Amino acid sequence: MHCSVHWLCCGAIVMACMPSVALAQSSVNPDMSILPRFVLKTNDGERLAEGIREFSRPDFAFEELELAAQAYLNPFAKADVVFAIAGPDIEGSSLGLEEVYATVLRGLPLDLNMRFGKYRAEFGKINMTHPHAWPFVTQPLSQERFLGEGGLNDLGVSVSLLLPTGDVYSKLTLDLLRGGSIGDASGIPDSTGASPLYATSARVMGFFPLNDESDLEIGLSGYTGIHDPYNRERFWYGNLDVKYKYKPDAYTSLVVQGEVLQNTRKARQNRALAVYRDAAGNPAGQTVRSTGLYVFADYQFMKLYSVGVRYDWTQAPYSTDDRAQAIAVFLGYYPVEETLGVRLHYQHTRTEIPGESRSVNLIALQALFSLGPHKAHPF
Amino acid sequence: MKHLIILLMVVVAGNAGAAVKVVTSLPDLADLARQIGGEKVVVESIVRGDQNPHAIEVKPSYMMKLKSADLFLMIGMDLELWAPQIIDGSRNSSLEVVDLSRRIAKLEIPASLSASQGDVHRYGNPHYWLDPRNIRIVVEDIVAALSRKSPADEQLFRTNGERYLEKLQTQIRRWEEVMKPFAGSTIITFHKSWTYFAAWLGLTVADQVEPKPGIAPSPSHTAKLISLVRQSGIRVIIVEPFYDASAAEQIARATQAKVLRLPTSCGGTGGATGYMELMDYTIATLAGALK
Repeated sequence: MHCSVHWLCCGAIVMACMPSVALAQSSVNPDMSILPRFVLKTNDGERLAEGIREFSRPDFAFEELELAAQAYLNPFAKADVVFAIAGPDIEGSSLGLEEVYATVLRGLPLDLNMRFGKYRAEFGKINMTHPHAWPFVTQPLSQERFLGEGGLNDLGVSVSLLLPTGDVYSKLTLDLLRGGSIGDASGIPDSTGASPLYATSARVMGFFPLNDESDLEIGLSGYTGIHDPYNRERFWYGNLDVKYKYKPDAYTSLVVQGEVLQNTRKARQNRALAVYRDAAGNPAGQTVRSTGLYVFADYQFMKLYSVGVRYDWTQAPYSTDDRAQAIAVFLGYYPVEETLGVRLHYQHTRTEIPGESRSVNLIALQALFSLGPHKAHPF
Repeated sequence: MKHLIILLMVVVAGNAGAAVKVVTSLPDLADLARQIGGEKVVVESIVRGDQNPHAIEVKPSYMMKLKSADLFLMIGMDLELWAPQIIDGSRNSSLEVVDLSRRIAKLEIPASLSASQGDVHRYGNPHYWLDPRNIRIVVEDIVAALSRKSPADEQLFRTNGERYLEKLQTQIRRWEEVMKPFAGSTIITFHKSWTYFAAWLGLTVADQVEPKPGIAPSPSHTAKLISLVRQSGIRVIIVEPFYDASAAEQIARATQAKVLRLPTSCGGTGGATGYMELMDYTIATLAGALK
């Protein structure tokens, strides 16, 4: 009996506390978003080796699902976690950690912001944008070749400072990174088991309101690390990014954005571990200076529709003779802001290596949705 | 030592006379802050009167406005979903953010939340500033906020605030008089922006051109509204200048109704430079259309 009374009392206390518990729970629950992308695509390059140019059977594929959570940790900091399930095997894929980081927003000297964890580093402009927010379906070729499919996304710590430039918003961001990302993307994979490679990146940017309807952002980034862990050879990337946006009203906007990336690296061997040799056949290091760029324009002409065009031109991290260029046109349909979207994308890509060139046409229809709270759109 | 004391006195005296830097979300709040603060405040607004306050892009230039501000006055109730990013991006740890909705009697607080209802504001309809009776609370809160930032000017802020409210009260009586013959009239609005305004003047909002808040008009909903307007003899459809009026105009063409492009903030039309002018313009235009 005594025991029953005890449990009844406990129950009553719990019941009495429930509303406040529920309130506290709801106030600390993070904002959650689920963002899957599906694509139906076909290209005419799969049987080129057999001398046949024909479009493949359209393949309905799962591209990726992002599961994102964000919340303030306390009055000074917030945290972001992004899990990703990569396609195309929708049932067999495992959950990966795309980003997990905390950002200290207040309380640091000089009004510094600090971020640590795994995150998309502030190198260039499009690297910080998740693929679901691109107006097109495919990644720009220069980004894919020099930074990899996932972009520059690494473990590290970042510090940013607003520069004293009067009324002009300008920011300097410095990152110290693990340096593994380059090995997966445009360097030689590290199986040496040696000490950490480390990489550093920096970006300085300025934001210039031109008038009430248009703004310009210009950024200059640098990124350096080890691309050949066997010979401790270093690469240097420089990147210029420019974004212009004209938005005269709620239903019309024009975005023009472009980036030029310059790679410089001393290399004794390429990614396939083929050793560079001089005319006499002796091993000889080379300095590779190669470039990649993209530029796109995206025009929102009604509340629900946008149309755009993108041009890519790029060389390769280890060769100036390995080139690719592409022209893409794309149409976006967003019935209710970003909650639902459909993108139709056509791309003609031409790749060239010494003695060989080929072109491929790609048609892709992408569908995506966003389940979760609405966020204001950043510039 | 003497020089140091003199320097400190100069600095303190300088600070004492410094204007309070105020940034507001809406231009209407900027007007109120100017009326109350006079020369003791420097005021900027983020949203222009011709912009949709729900859909403001997060621009670094807005962060710069807040970077050196003392006060950020906002409507609250999730109208400014963009505000947290701008506040965080400003890196201004001494910024005081004032949510002016705290003491407002809120309307249309949803019983449950689901995206199937459209862009519903979880704390209720945030367009309370369109009922001028709510401005008394807003003015009182602005006076209190400015006084916290510049206690030496508290009396001035109070006097200015009371003077403004007296003028506003006179205007409210006049506006009510003008609209008295139209009490009980039924109107249609594009968005649920006019709930507080309609409640104040005894108007009935029969429906919205948007089938759900934030959802673009659909042909079937427009057809339904055409029937409703014909059956009920509705004469006015209010559309804010930043919304596409084509669906409302389609309804108007098919019926006897008239589309009124009425801004919800001052600066949205050439003439309305302040809150009272905005309400003057709104009342005069609406009364003219309902005649």
